[in-house]
Amino acid sequence: MAALGSFLLLTSFVVGSYAAVAPLAGVRRRAPRFVESGIGAFHLITALMLAASIVMINAFMTNDYSVQYVAHYSERVQPLFYKITSYWGGLDGSIMFWVFLLSVFGSVAVHVNRERHRVLIPYVVSIIAAVEMFFIYLMIAHKNPFTTFLSASPPDGGGLTPQLQNFYMAIHPPSLYTGFVGMTIPYAFGMAALISGQLDDAWLRAVRRWTMVAWVALSIGLMLGMLWSYEDLGWGGYWAWDPVENAALLPWFTATAFLHSVMVQERRGMLRIWNVSLVIVTFFLTIYGTFLTRSGVVQSIHSFVEDPVLAWLFVVFMIAILVFSFGWVVYRLPLLRSRNELDSWTSREAAFLINNWILLFSAFFIAFGTIFPTLSEALTGARLTVGEAFYGKWMLPIGTLLLLLTGIGPLLAWRKSTLAALWRQLLLPALSGGTTAGALAALGMRQWNSLLCFALCAFVAGTIAQEFWRGANVRRRSTGTDIFTALVGLVARNKRRYGGYIVHLGVVLIFLGFAGRGFTRESDTAVPLGGQTAIGDFTIRNDGIKVTADEQKQMVTGEMAIFRQGKRIDTLYPARWFFRRHENEPVSQVAIRRSLGGDLYVALNILPADVGRQSAALQIFVNPLVDWIWCGFAVLIGGTGIALLPEGALTFAQSLSAAGHASTAEAKA
Amino acid sequence: MERRRYLRLALTAAAMAASLGGLLWSTVAEGTEYYKHVDEVMASPEEWEGKALQLHGFVVPGSIFVKPGTLDYRFQVQNNGRVVDVTYRGIVPDTFTDRTEVVLRGRLTPQGFRADPNGVTTKCPSRYDPSRRAG
Repeated sequence: MAALGSFLLLTSFVVGSYAAVAPLAGVRRRAPRFVESGIGAFHLITALMLAASIVMINAFMTNDYSVQYVAHYSERVQPLFYKITSYWGGLDGSIMFWVFLLSVFGSVAVHVNRERHRVLIPYVVSIIAAVEMFFIYLMIAHKNPFTTFLSASPPDGGGLTPQLQNFYMAIHPPSLYTGFVGMTIPYAFGMAALISGQLDDAWLRAVRRWTMVAWVALSIGLMLGMLWSYEDLGWGGYWAWDPVENAALLPWFTATAFLHSVMVQERRGMLRIWNVSLVIVTFFLTIYGTFLTRSGVVQSIHSFVEDPVLAWLFVVFMIAILVFSFGWVVYRLPLLRSRNELDSWTSREAAFLINNWILLFSAFFIAFGTIFPTLSEALTGARLTVGEAFYGKWMLPIGTLLLLLTGIGPLLAWRKSTLAALWRQLLLPALSGGTTAGALAALGMRQWNSLLCFALCAFVAGTIAQEFWRGANVRRRSTGTDIFTALVGLVARNKRRYGGYIVHLGVVLIFLGFAGRGFTRESDTAVPLGGQTAIGDFTIRNDGIKVTADEQKQMVTGEMAIFRQGKRIDTLYPARWFFRRHENEPVSQVAIRRSLGGDLYVALNILPADVGRQSAALQIFVNPLVDWIWCGFAVLIGGTGIALLPEGALTFAQSLSAAGHASTAEAKA
Repeated sequence: MERRRYLRLALTAAAMAASLGGLLWSTVAEGTEYYKHVDEVMASPEEWEGKALQLHGFVVPGSIFVKPGTLDYRFQVQNNGRVVDVTYRGIVPDTFTDRTEVVLRGRLTPQGFRADPNGVTTKCPSRYDPSRRAG
């Protein structure tokens, strides 16, 4: 079966080369059938990659340890679920999974847009096929997941690393990869527009939705990574500025910037070079992120082993992307002239511009911090690292500024806002922010960072509520319906705008969770049997530790009684699991008592040999407001969902406005 | 009109660049840590005393001691034959044991290396890496 897998990869490389060249030749010779054949070949890659994936999963499910990759990442006793997720558990398989996702995305994008963007499609096909070829080449030449043992195959596999035998392993990498590969589609359309010279705003329409889809997948991936880190690594936090976390955050920043600046191009015909550059940079950063993770250039708990050959292949590919893409941008500069000038700094386009600068600066700052150790070693010979404090110092003001802009931006009108109009818009939200700050200060809060953050959250929430309230009221009056229908109708008429506001609300909630970090309490203590320890309002009593086992692992579980102000409220069972043959890599099973006010987080630290003494070394955190982060992400996903709804959705509320002249933009005028 | 616009732009840009530069200067000065292997530091320990360090090495087998009933750790870390004594109070990572590859954050004193709270990080030996897997 492994031979079949290798054969499928080789075939997909050959087919890929045809798909990369045929459409271009077809366009040159004005031979539509040639183009069609290239598109056919493009879909064929998807079919071949699907087949290769089935072969791989089959090898895992049938315990085919003649395949090295399977032998390394699986074992007989491993539950079926983790046998399947082992597909992307290692380097070679994760590259294959990557190509598979990209081919699926590419096929769907090409199929959906084949009529609407007929001129662009040949180039799109060719570019995506070229990217796929690069990754397939990596596998064929360097990291073939179907490599078999030359000698006899081992009777059993090594098993997936215990820390990866986890539900998040099944969903975190796929959603992150979806976000990463999804960014290839906007890039392909952007490049197609550049090469074909069709630089009217049609390509933007094709790209916008795909960027949104990839963006939300990336957001989900980031959230799942944070949750995984929080629930399973036992250190009480969710973000450590680890190079690989940063790598995933970089394209998120630039994609966020693009989703905002694209509106300026649609409305005002400005920022055209900027937008196409953002699309290129976002794609580049996804490849750069993959490079960081897979080449071992930076040191991180996530990274795969050091691999200089792979690193060089990636470097060559990245240079090629930059030269090719920006070469075309320079060549097309005359077609990319802005159609308008900025009228005033108190305008929405100016707010978008500033938001873009900050987002882009964040991306480059984090890229700088990530590569800083490698850079300093190359320049001075001494490896200098930057820690959480360094990132914190920078990202705190940047985040605060972004949050402020989230509030102000939507209040500004396009072209120019008069100060009087701005004042009218700002009054209520500013009042809500000011009241919050005053109340918190009066209650004795002295962490100024968090205080400012809470106030800004209230301010932004105020602007969003005001937008919905005013819009819905105008619509209610003009259509004569009830306020609820008016609200739904309002959202339905302008899904992107109001979906965007809901996304902003999600961001506010996420920041609320971040602000809670200023109030975290931590306590590391050894608690004897029957002994107690106190943290915040909570008292924790050690009621004993027991050991159980199943066929895969030994489990050491503590029973901790939780009291709050003297009253027993709960029992938590923090545990540590020792997988057979991986005894040196125990896995923490953190016990968390969740509430919106704050989590009580208990991690048990004990070796099996210490069980006899029944003394529990506990790492305890009280993490205020942390669950708002996850709620915020849920709201953000919902908001993006609304923005992505197809044209015809929610017509029941829209049909009531036959006159159809209600919108807040007009209400303001 | 045009000239005033450019002047304003230039002033804004200069102010932004100055403030960002100042902030970068102040943070890089105090935010960075040297990343060193044990042998590099212990070749001339006096030079490194008091500096913020990330120290990379391997736990010496049998050197880990915990004061009973507390979280006070003493252990030794070595690399290429050089050894340093380490003191640490707190919870150690899941994978912390004999021969673990560790990165310690803290400062060197004449009595040995004092690791910061939460300053012990282990490198998972087998994370994605089949070749170094034990067993």
